Amino acid sequence: MAQFMLLLYGDPARWQKLSPEEMQKATEKYLAWVKKSVDAKRLSDDAGKVIHSHGGKPRVTDGPYSEAKEALGGYYTIEAANYDEAVQIALTHPQVEYGSTIVIRQVYGT
Amino acid sequence: MSSEAEPGAMLEHLFRHQAGRMVARLTRLLGPAYITLAEEAVQESMLRALQSWPYQGVPESPGGWLFRVAHNCAIDALRRNKIFGDKTDAIAAEISLSSKALPADPELEEQLGDDELRMIFMCCHPVIPPESSVALSLKTVGGFNVREIARAFLADEAATAQRLVRAKRLIRDKKLTLEMPRGAELQQRLDTVCEVIYFMFNEGYSALEGEALVRHDLCQEALRLGLLITSSSLATPAVHALVALMALQAARLPARTDEAGDIVLLESQDRDLWDPRLVALGFHHFERSMSGEHVSEYHVQAAIAATHARASHADSPDWPLILHLYDELISIKNSSVIALNRAVAVSKVHGTAEGLRAIEALDHNPDLRNYHLLMAVRGHFLLQLGRLNEAAHCFRSALRCRCSEPERRFLQKKLVECDPPE
Repeated sequence: MAQFMLLLYGDPARWQKLSPEEMQKATEKYLAWVKKSVDAKRLSDDAGKVIHSHGGKPRVTDGPYSEAKEALGGYYTIEAANYDEAVQIALTHPQVEYGSTIVIRQVYGT
Repeated sequence: MSSEAEPGAMLEHLFRHQAGRMVARLTRLLGPAYITLAEEAVQESMLRALQSWPYQGVPESPGGWLFRVAHNCAIDALRRNKIFGDKTDAIAAEISLSSKALPADPELEEQLGDDELRMIFMCCHPVIPPESSVALSLKTVGGFNVREIARAFLADEAATAQRLVRAKRLIRDKKLTLEMPRGAELQQRLDTVCEVIYFMFNEGYSALEGEALVRHDLCQEALRLGLLITSSSLATPAVHALVALMALQAARLPARTDEAGDIVLLESQDRDLWDPRLVALGFHHFERSMSGEHVSEYHVQAAIAATHARASHADSPDWPLILHLYDELISIKNSSVIALNRAVAVSKVHGTAEGLRAIEALDHNPDLRNYHLLMAVRGHFLLQLGRLNEAAHCFRSALRCRCSEPERRFLQKKLVECDPPE
C-alpha cells in the first residue's frame, strides 16, 4: 500500500454562514469520516510563517501564504493502492459536500 | 451542559441549545446592548469546534469546551474593540470568572436557566413588536440563525435580518435590561411570553409541508421554553396548561401525515404513532395546571386536547364534553377560527345539519374570507348531507385560497368524492 496525504483547503468565511445546528451536523460528518479512516492532523489557527529566499538570503515572514482565500485547514494521511483509490476515498469526505478543495499527494518513505 | 453518553458522541441539538444559553450568559455579562458581540463570540466557539474536533477528537465535555471557548472569544473581542473603555478589565474579569464554572454543576445549570429566562422576558418587552419578539427569542435563546428563522416563517431572509437588527436597536435605544419585571408588570410580561411561545408552537404545528424539519424544531423549541418556565419559580397554572397543550398536540405530529405526505384526519390517525412520552408529559402538566382559580385559554385548549388523547379509539372522544369546552373557550376568547372548530364539535353532538347551521354565521366574517378551512369544513358537511353540487362548489373555493400542497391534494380528493362516477 502506498501513502497519500489529503490536504484540506477551505474558506473559513464559508462556515460563518452556518447555523449552530448545521455546524454540529458538519462536525459530526467530519468525525464520522475520520473514524472510518485515518490519522488526522490539524493545523494551528494562526496564519503560520513563510520563508522566502531572495538572492540566497532567507526571509521569514508571517503568513498568509498567498492571495488565495482558501487556507490549508488540516491534513490526513491515508493508505491506498494508487491515486485512483486515494481519490475514491477522498471523494467520500464531507469537505467535498461543503464545496471546498482537497489536494491529494502521494508520500514516499514512512 | 450535560453528561455525554460516550466520548465522541454529541447530544442531539447540543450546539443549538448550547448556543442559546451561552448567548444568554454572555449577554448578561456584557450587557443587553451588546447581544451581537455575544452572538459573535458564540459563533466563533462553534467554528473553532468545527475546525478542531474532526482532527483532535471531541472533548470529554463538548458543552463545557464550547462554553469556555465562547467566553475566551468574548474576552478577546472585548479587548480588541475599545467600546468598554475603563470598564474593559472589570468585565473581562467577570467573564473569566464565569468561564471557570464547572460543567454539570447543578448550581450553574440553574443560573443558566435563569439567564435564558431573563433573555426571553427581555425579548418579549412591550416596546418590541410581537413578531420581532418571536424572531429575537429564536435567534438569541433558541440558537436558530436568520436563515432558519426565515425558512420557518416562510419569510424573506433579508426582511428577517432587518427585523432582528431593528429589535436589537430598540434594546439599545430604550436601554432595556435583563432585570425581571415585578408585580403586575411581571404577570403581564409572562402573558406576553406565553403568547410568543404559543405563536412559535403554532407556526411550527400548522405547517404541513416545506421545511418540515425546521418547523418541527419550532414546536420543540416552544415546548422547551415552556418547560424552562414551568421548572422555574415563575411557573403558574396557565403556563402548565400551555405546556400541557403543546405536549399533547406535539404528540400527534408523527401521525398527522402518512408516508406519502398526505393528511390523516384526527379521526383516522393511528394512535400507536402518537408519542407516548409527550402524551405523558402533557397529562403531567395538565394535572399541575389545575391548582389555580383562574381558567385561561390554554386550560380549555389543553382540556380539549386531553379529551382527544384520553379516547381509547378515534370514534370515542367525549364529543359533548368537547363541545362544552369549546363553548367555554369562546366565552374567554371569541375568535372565528375557534368558532369553526366548535362547529365541528356541534356536528358530532347534534348532527351535521346543526354543524352546518353553526358555521353559517361565519360565512360573512371578513377574517375568514380567504380561509380555506372554512370552505373545507362547509364542503365536508354538505358532502355528508348529500348536497354534492354545493359541496363541490365549496371545495373549489377552498382550492382557490392559499393552502399547502398536502391540503390541496386532500381537497382535490374531496372534490372527486362530490362527483361519483355514474
